[in-house]
Amino acid sequence: MIRVEGLTKVFPNPDGTEKTAVDHISFEVQPAEIYGLLGPNGAGKTTTLRMISGLLRPTDGQVIIKGEEVTRRPELVKRHIGYLTANTGLYARLTPFEMLEYFATLYNIPRDVARRRIAELVGWLGMDSYIRLRCGALSTGQKQRVNIARALIADPPILVLDEPTLGLDVLSNRLILEFIRTQAAAGKAVLLSTHALDEIDQMCRRMGLIHNGRLIAEGELDTLRAQTGRQRLSEVFLHLVGATDPVFTQ
Amino acid sequence: MNRLSRINTIWRKELLDTLRDRRTLIAMIFVPMVLYPAMMLGSLQGFELQFSRLTKEEYRVAVSSEEVRTWLRWVLDTDAARRPGVEGLPAEKVIELAEQREPGASPNEPPLSPEQSAEDAARAHVRENPPEYTIIVVPNADRLREKVMSGDAHVGLLLDSGVPARDSTDSTGVTLLVDQTDVRSQQIAAPGLHGVLQRLADFMLAQRLRQMSLDPAFVHPIEVRQQSVAPPEKVGGSILGQIVPLILVIMTITGAIYPAIDLTAGERERGTLETLMVAPVPTVDLIAGKFVVVALIAMLSAALNLLSIGGTVYLGGLGDLLSRGSPVAIPLNALPWVLLALVPLAIMFSATLLAVCSFARSFKEAQNYVMPVMVGAMIPAVVGILPGTRLEGPLLIMPVTNIVILTRDLFTGRFDVFAIVWVTLSTTLYAGAAVAVAAKLFGQEAVLFADSGSLKTLLRRRFYRPADRPTVAQAFFVLAAVFSINFFAQQRLLSAPGMAGSLRFWLILGAVIVVLFGLVPFAAAAYMRVRIRPALGLTRPHPLGLAAALCFGLSTWILAQAWFTWQQTWLPMPPEMEQVYEEMVAALGDTSPLVMVLFLALIPAVCEELFFRGYALSGLRGGLGKAGAVVVVAVAFGIYHHSVHRLFVTTALGLLLGLLVIQYRSIWPAMLAHLLHNGLSGLSAREDGLKPALTWLGYSLGADGAPPLPWVMAAATLAVVGVVLCVRVTGREKALENGAAILQHGNQ
Repeated sequence: MIRVEGLTKVFPNPDGTEKTAVDHISFEVQPAEIYGLLGPNGAGKTTTLRMISGLLRPTDGQVIIKGEEVTRRPELVKRHIGYLTANTGLYARLTPFEMLEYFATLYNIPRDVARRRIAELVGWLGMDSYIRLRCGALSTGQKQRVNIARALIADPPILVLDEPTLGLDVLSNRLILEFIRTQAAAGKAVLLSTHALDEIDQMCRRMGLIHNGRLIAEGELDTLRAQTGRQRLSEVFLHLVGATDPVFTQ
Repeated sequence: MNRLSRINTIWRKELLDTLRDRRTLIAMIFVPMVLYPAMMLGSLQGFELQFSRLTKEEYRVAVSSEEVRTWLRWVLDTDAARRPGVEGLPAEKVIELAEQREPGASPNEPPLSPEQSAEDAARAHVRENPPEYTIIVVPNADRLREKVMSGDAHVGLLLDSGVPARDSTDSTGVTLLVDQTDVRSQQIAAPGLHGVLQRLADFMLAQRLRQMSLDPAFVHPIEVRQQSVAPPEKVGGSILGQIVPLILVIMTITGAIYPAIDLTAGERERGTLETLMVAPVPTVDLIAGKFVVVALIAMLSAALNLLSIGGTVYLGGLGDLLSRGSPVAIPLNALPWVLLALVPLAIMFSATLLAVCSFARSFKEAQNYVMPVMVGAMIPAVVGILPGTRLEGPLLIMPVTNIVILTRDLFTGRFDVFAIVWVTLSTTLYAGAAVAVAAKLFGQEAVLFADSGSLKTLLRRRFYRPADRPTVAQAFFVLAAVFSINFFAQQRLLSAPGMAGSLRFWLILGAVIVVLFGLVPFAAAAYMRVRIRPALGLTRPHPLGLAAALCFGLSTWILAQAWFTWQQTWLPMPPEMEQVYEEMVAALGDTSPLVMVLFLALIPAVCEELFFRGYALSGLRGGLGKAGAVVVVAVAFGIYHHSVHRLFVTTALGLLLGLLVIQYRSIWPAMLAHLLHNGLSGLSAREDGLKPALTWLGYSLGADGAPPLPWVMAAATLAVVGVVLCVRVTGREKALENGAAILQHGNQ
């Protein structure tokens, strides 16, 4: 459902030089699968997700979503993706209800269908008590639930989630991971980017490891364990990253 | 969902969001409705309070001898008797009246014209109502100067000769020494003493005349009076015209600043920009929605200001002070027009501010960028309020200045309809370019994401992606830039003495056209990595396209001539303009017909087509659709000719040429039609050109310059055939053309 081929992004530096943030990355995510994208801070995960969602234009390579190349028809592709990152904020002066209704309109969902969908999401994510409060007054966990509801408003077949549990308490964390799992079980393709190793361990069967913009390992978790000879994911991670970066081997 | 309903959804949400922001409400409602009148009235009352306090103080006059002191004391003590309204009364009554007299209560105080400042008014008031003076004596004239300079005395009085005797018939020169840097000296002590001495002089003159049994009319053989014929509305309009336009400019910007920052840089800072950009909505629609809100708030803010100023001026007494008693009324009929003139201004500022703020990565950065815009707007605004500026020449299209002058003219009712057209069109063009730039900047990766590298990506050629046609933003930007440069170049050229009638004029004009219209499209396309052939329509022409071009080229020059003749009856060309045109054509008349064809037809046809139907049309087509792009380019083509008298004909020609290019996807037929139109117009009037042949064929202009009716009918028919040829390009032909274009493209 998501096919990434040789994806590359080069940014100019202020001094005139260039920085390759993402360097020829390729992988695929199938329906009903949660694919983990793992990597340290600054590895290029967010840039990769932004290119997949049509927010950034790749310098080279392509992303194919449901058979459509993203840069050709970005508006069409965006309809199929529910996108959530730590950078997707909420309108502080709108209520969750107003915000969800606004996005439903942008996705061209008829008003009655949107109302039903909002009621459904409010029920699933337990948002009843604050659906009519301004978003600015909500707690981090409440905001994240509203954000997930916003990403799912059009019931997209693909979810691109960047650190969806960042800064959440244990209860919210569990609720959200559970919710993601339910969505994948319902047939959605989920691309989960995180640096929380236990989340990858719990949720994913396959993963890709990004470091310095390159995909240094990719495949099923068990295969990676077998390749590295390590059982714990943190050790697998350090082993794989250490092979390319001397800092980690010291 | 169609584009309009999507923009509708966006702007309504943005408006709700903005109206819930306290800062916007403060800038939009609190400042104009409360703070501004309070400040205006506060400063006014403060001025009046301070002024009345100053007039009650006692002032020191320095004189150089005891004799002058005694004389001046007598002059000051008897002055009350000479003030208006107290002449002929007994001394005790005069003193009583002088004690009762309130400042400003003088019944004979002349009304000031609106042009006079409050300072003049204050000085005139003091002359009639002088303060109390103490007289100090100093040894000599040099000490007198020192006393005034040191501030020990507020004014020094020097007599050229001795003290004038009561029955003297000589003239005595009196010099008042004033310290211009001291308000008490300059504004109160000196004018007060001046008034006293003037009344003494008048009194002595009257006495001398009486002694000689002469009537006062003897020394006033001619009495000049000035009487204002302006109705109260005009006086009010003139007062408002001095202050309102500048305030409106400032308040329109102030109203737009917060929403513009909040909806762009603010949105990015709060992290909602990425949320919004991920929705399946084109960036242009997002910026259009935001633009509607900013423009609405700017207009609302300006309208509230207008109301507030009106209220302050007429309810708060400011009008009375400014008019000093002249009857004043609000020119109510001008208000709707002033509000209407604000629309393009608000649109332009909103778009400019959105563009500038789209560039910023944070609220703070945006605030820094807004300051230069504010200052940049103030300079042309101040040019506009300079006394005596008129809406003509380059000022017609000078952004901000033109609106400021137009607003002033609307208030006084002295405006020109064509000037309004110019101002509106040019401002709308600038606003369009600013919106396009805003849309371009708003969607940029470098602006969207802080980690996406520097903003140099916007300008660096390497980061432009190769494209088949320019973007709407690029097309608008190039249109606006070339429009301004061309306007100033032509104005400069026409205003040079003796230039219009010389061949040098055509050489320079030709060079300007080649550079601006011929080279700019190539340069812009090459730099922005736009493929030149498809963008400029340099593709092989279809035979039917050439046929349609022939139809237009052979007919439109006759129709244009017929139109001009008719237009002269309701929109006559001013004689000076007619003379300039005649001189211009006469300069080519002495040259060979080929030279005329080169300058009048070939250069304009090739270069203007490359620019308008090539670069601009292919760029605007992407955003405005076929019909929209043809119309906008045709109107721009009309405006570029910088003459209201040619506007209709050039716009109509632009429509036909646009139709030709859009239907046949090649620039060559348009160049052919344009060449024929211009060439035949020029050659048809030349004896060594086509005139003899045309006369033989029965084409001769009537006394009013109209072509023969059968020719007009035939030309109209031919033009209709051309239109039919364009409109009836069948699907099959189009498919063939598309296929050919694709094949051609593939072969490259």
